[in-house]
Amino acid sequence: MMYRRLLIVSVVLGGLALAACGSEPPPEPPAPEPMATGPDMDSLRAYEDSVRRAQEEAARLAAERERAIADARAILEQRVHFDYDQSAIRSDAESVLRQKLAILRSSPQVRIRMEGHADERGSVEYNQALGNRRAQSVLDFFTQQGLTAGAFQTTSFGEERPLSTASNETAWAQNRRVEFVITSGGGSINPAQ
Amino acid sequence: MSRLTLMARTRLAVSALSTLLWIGLGATLDGVAQQVEERFPGVSLGLSYETRALPTLAIQPFTSGFGDPSQATQVENIVARDLRYSDRFQVMDALPAALVREEVDYALWDQIGATWLVTGRVDGAGAAAVLVLELHDVVYREVASRGRFSLAEPGSPDFRMAAHVVSDSIVQWVFDEPGIAATRIVFSRRMEDGSQDLWVIDSDGENLRRLTSHRGGEFGVPISMTPKWSPDGTRVAYTSYKDEGMPRIYELNLATGQEKAVPTPRSGDYISPSYHPDGRFVYFAVNSGNSSGIYRYNIVDGCCFGSVTESRSEDISPSFAPDGQTLAFNSNRLGVGAPQIYIMSADGPGRPELVSPYVYSTPGYYTSPDWSPVGNRIAYHGRVQRRGAHQILVAELDGRNRVRQTSQITFAGVNEDPSWAPDGRHLVHVGVRDYGHGLFVTDLLTGNTRTLVSGIRPNPPAWSPPLSPSIR
Repeated sequence: MMYRRLLIVSVVLGGLALAACGSEPPPEPPAPEPMATGPDMDSLRAYEDSVRRAQEEAARLAAERERAIADARAILEQRVHFDYDQSAIRSDAESVLRQKLAILRSSPQVRIRMEGHADERGSVEYNQALGNRRAQSVLDFFTQQGLTAGAFQTTSFGEERPLSTASNETAWAQNRRVEFVITSGGGSINPAQ
Repeated sequence: MSRLTLMARTRLAVSALSTLLWIGLGATLDGVAQQVEERFPGVSLGLSYETRALPTLAIQPFTSGFGDPSQATQVENIVARDLRYSDRFQVMDALPAALVREEVDYALWDQIGATWLVTGRVDGAGAAAVLVLELHDVVYREVASRGRFSLAEPGSPDFRMAAHVVSDSIVQWVFDEPGIAATRIVFSRRMEDGSQDLWVIDSDGENLRRLTSHRGGEFGVPISMTPKWSPDGTRVAYTSYKDEGMPRIYELNLATGQEKAVPTPRSGDYISPSYHPDGRFVYFAVNSGNSSGIYRYNIVDGCCFGSVTESRSEDISPSFAPDGQTLAFNSNRLGVGAPQIYIMSADGPGRPELVSPYVYSTPGYYTSPDWSPVGNRIAYHGRVQRRGAHQILVAELDGRNRVRQTSQITFAGVNEDPSWAPDGRHLVHVGVRDYGHGLFVTDLLTGNTRTLVSGIRPNPPAWSPPLSPSIR
């Protein structure tokens, strides 16, 4: 009876740990001790400790994994910014895109819409085109690095959705950007190894 | 009017206008030049300021023999303001009733200084009111033209439009050119929450109202913008993010409220729609990276999606010449930071011709072309310096569509996105002043600018063709 319970618990725990982290082997279940006659308080305590330790370990691994996924999602959603009138990828943007690249490679089910934006200067229609060109620059970067274009969609909001509505250099620099919207596969983000 | 007379008159009107333009061409306006710190390369200042004094037109107080007597005064006030806004007359109105005589006293009006005199009387025609209008030539002491105009119930939506039709007839009688009173301007308005719907306003700044009320959804607040009129003024094509969170082209039928969407056989952003003068085809840009270009679709028959230009750069903002043979557009084929204005044959092929004043080392930034309905001019806007203000420019084309002259026509504040009135001399445009944003109307011949509406955040406007009172 006790053996069976122990076995079930360890299978469940092992499975949990396995589910939480695909690549690491599950922690070894504590080796069952042969039962003497009557209740052996020491072995019972040892058993309970081992269960608690396994639970704690599984929770820790799950939390770690959650954190890693959240971090990866934040990186995927991190905006990149552009120079005035330009659609070229700046070096600060490139390092952000490289971090995204690693995650995207290990998360083939993730689909992303890249939304280009412009600052308020210039014409409304041309800024729609400029925003699209910025989103395209990001897409070009990804495909040159070997990702498939099918995982992405590009569009532009031109100057119509500013992050800041102020009319100064700081606001304009903030508004010249590409946003990354995860449209599907958000549950299948695999943090890069 | 016979077709031949109409053509002859139109030609006369166009040639009269271009004569006026020629007078102003090349004139150096030193006073204006000093206000402008940086100049566009190869661009002259001011277009064609009329050197003549405007003729004085007096309005004898309108009289009433039918219905509510205040109706006559209301019509008179609308007409007087319209005629001022035509920038063609010195208007004398709100004159004492004592000047009304049984017979027009030409000597008296001559003494007052009027060249033209308008008299009007509201009469009954069955249950409806009509305005009996006469235009008098005070110099020749005779009636130059007369007409009867149906009036609508005061306070009804057609009332003001019926009065605007009267104003345009007076302009037509005196100058043989179309007026702009019976017209409207459509634009999108940015609200506090970031949403944009289409709004419309009468040419005299009255009757501001909402055309669309789209609801937000999973793609955030709805954004609809860059509307253009169909050539008959019954439909409006525009761009909206409302359904897909990506820009798509729609057409709103103003009479029925029905909406059509342009299909999207190609992926990409569908933006900057504009009608071909035939009223059937809508031209627009599809931006999709390395296969962008201008496309067209027959929205009346629901067919014939096709490509017009194909480019690795963005070709946007098509605008047709009135003959439908040639179109102007905007493209960044010379650099993403240096959009330019081009014209090309509507059927292709052939290389597009550059219209904006491109200079190799300082290519500039020129966008938003609008081809005049009268013919040989393209308005657009440009940036004065790399980080400078945007101002409106007008390119004069010769008979072979080559640029004869380009002129800067706005100087105060920031001015963008011009759209021609049907008279080919007024432009409505977005303006930013130190007191805020608004829509402004600038007249090329007098240089006058008036505020159409302020205190709101408007996006690119489009001026309608002449509207009949039945179009709301």
